[in-house]
Amino acid sequence: MSLGQLGSSGQKNQAQPGRHLDQGMNGQDLMRSARFRKEREADWRRLETLLLAAERKGLQRMGFADARDLASLYRQATTSLAIAREISLDKALLGYLEALTARAYLCVYAPQERLGGLVTRFLARSAPQAMRRSWVYVLLGFLCMGLGVLAGYLLYFENTDWYYVFMPSELAGGRGPDVTNEALRSVIYDQDPDGSGLGAFATYLFSHNTRIAIFVFGLGVFACAPAILLTFYNGLGLGAFFALHVERGLGVDLGGWLSIHGVTELSAICIACGGGLKLGTAVLFPGDRSRIDALRLAGHDAVKLALVAALMLVAAALLEGFGRQLIQDMTTRYAIGWGVGALWLAWFALGGRRRR
Amino acid sequence: MIFSRWRKRRQERPSPDELLPPEGVALTLPIATVGVRVAAQITDVLITLIAAIALVVLLAMLDGTNPQTIFIIGTLIFFLIRTPYYILAELGWNGQTLGKRLMKIKVVSHDGGSLTAHSLVLRNLMKEAEVFLPATLLLTLDSASPVASIISLLWIGGGLLVPLMDRHRRRLGDMMAGTHVIHLPVPLLLKDLATETPVISKTRKKFIFLTHQLDHYGAYELQTLETLLRAQNAPPSNNAAKQRDATIEAIVERIRKKIGYADPVPYGDRLRFLKAFYNAQREHLEQRQLFGDRRENKHYAKDDQEA
Repeated sequence: MSLGQLGSSGQKNQAQPGRHLDQGMNGQDLMRSARFRKEREADWRRLETLLLAAERKGLQRMGFADARDLASLYRQATTSLAIAREISLDKALLGYLEALTARAYLCVYAPQERLGGLVTRFLARSAPQAMRRSWVYVLLGFLCMGLGVLAGYLLYFENTDWYYVFMPSELAGGRGPDVTNEALRSVIYDQDPDGSGLGAFATYLFSHNTRIAIFVFGLGVFACAPAILLTFYNGLGLGAFFALHVERGLGVDLGGWLSIHGVTELSAICIACGGGLKLGTAVLFPGDRSRIDALRLAGHDAVKLALVAALMLVAAALLEGFGRQLIQDMTTRYAIGWGVGALWLAWFALGGRRRR
Repeated sequence: MIFSRWRKRRQERPSPDELLPPEGVALTLPIATVGVRVAAQITDVLITLIAAIALVVLLAMLDGTNPQTIFIIGTLIFFLIRTPYYILAELGWNGQTLGKRLMKIKVVSHDGGSLTAHSLVLRNLMKEAEVFLPATLLLTLDSASPVASIISLLWIGGGLLVPLMDRHRRRLGDMMAGTHVIHLPVPLLLKDLATETPVISKTRKKFIFLTHQLDHYGAYELQTLETLLRAQNAPPSNNAAKQRDATIEAIVERIRKKIGYADPVPYGDRLRFLKAFYNAQREHLEQRQLFGDRRENKHYAKDDQEA
């Protein structure tokens, strides 16, 4: 039963003409506003006790009769407030009614959703639907990254010094154009993993790429430019890194090393970029709405993209922390990486479609 | 000229404290100040931080993890605790975290509608980008790279400025989620002064006011008198009693002079006089209001002429 239906039973109460006459005798010498108060005070007091109970226990655990009364008494109180503002000059009464109605409003219009339902709904419907709605922005995100990779790749072959420009030294982990083939290979096929599972997981999650994803999303609000630049820059580094390995004939091996988590992780960055772009375009081109309104509307989908990206980053961290050290075979790496990628794609493409 | 127009437009806008629920009767819910919200935020951070530290210590005791990774695991745990904490607390407690409960503030929907789970999730996720990310940046500021420091300081400053510039004190997350934060009102019903019938002995005469005597004051003066009369119920200390008597006497004389009430009011009857005047004045003003003659204060006649 919705609140609207509940309310109708209560409003009948108020319109009863008999009430006025019943109490007219003892309150005849009172002025109108005092009489008004006297007639309704009991209802207000009851609403107050119901409110206290509802705030303590929560609406869900209240009895049916109490919940019904709360809703109808709230509507009665709003009418009382509207009338009191017209007929009464009693400051105490006005203040009380105002506070009481406000408290009741906050209670009646409290969020009614359960958390479990929220999570299922997000996974089953709203996330893939949001992804499909904003496919243009996600595509733009992938485009930024892809162009970056291409540019980085080509620039490296033009001059290997570009590698040092694009690749932050702490991220390269000692890998560069002046390192031997064996050293590069040993990083890709690491036979002696040093980090433990959880430690590696945590380290990874707060590594470079997660920070990039957060910045790319958060900075999108500032007119898109920072998000595009950061994604492009990230692609540049990746391209140069890849070119280095291709030059040494390790391209396919590096592909496997990157695939196992990179498919998920780089997609996450691109999706975060898509979310940021969505916010940025809302600020740049609000259309007929005010900028705040446009931002709020875009936020509905953008935040879902950010959540999807976060989910993918956690998955990538699991793959990186546990999978990469355990699986040393190149083909398996490819299979797992792209298999997981296909699963993501299937979720986005097929999830939340209405059955005919 | 532009300035005056700007000021006029400012005055025409409805007060930011007003909220219009679906029932269509505007409610006054005062916007929470930035200071109170910061206090609530600090409380919440402390609560989650303590929980995270306890967990990390437990984890460190269970297996002797590498001390280098313990810090980063701690960061992870802090993140994993605080993000769900804010969302779950605000969902469960109807827009209040523990810190907000302590400070008696609450999240409400900006358009007066129902508070949705979506907006609560959104505003708390944005908190990560708005509060925690700048805070971590501040902690990791590096004097070696001045450009990066200046950029991050600008970002932090910009983030702090947004709620200060907004009339509703909303941060970016609030704007996107369509919410703002208010002080919880406390309903407290005081006795109606008009129903307190004073005991009138036969020997004393009743105070009677004529209509023209009640045309001097408006609602503001009436409600000031109400506040004064309510304050009389509290028993004063010895020193304050003398002062209070003096105030009452001054007020009684002032009113008598203004309305032209000729009979002197004896010492014991002063409060009774004020109460009778309050009742008569209120009845008169309320009646005028019913006829569409709203008198805000004693200058009502002047306002009418100007308009």
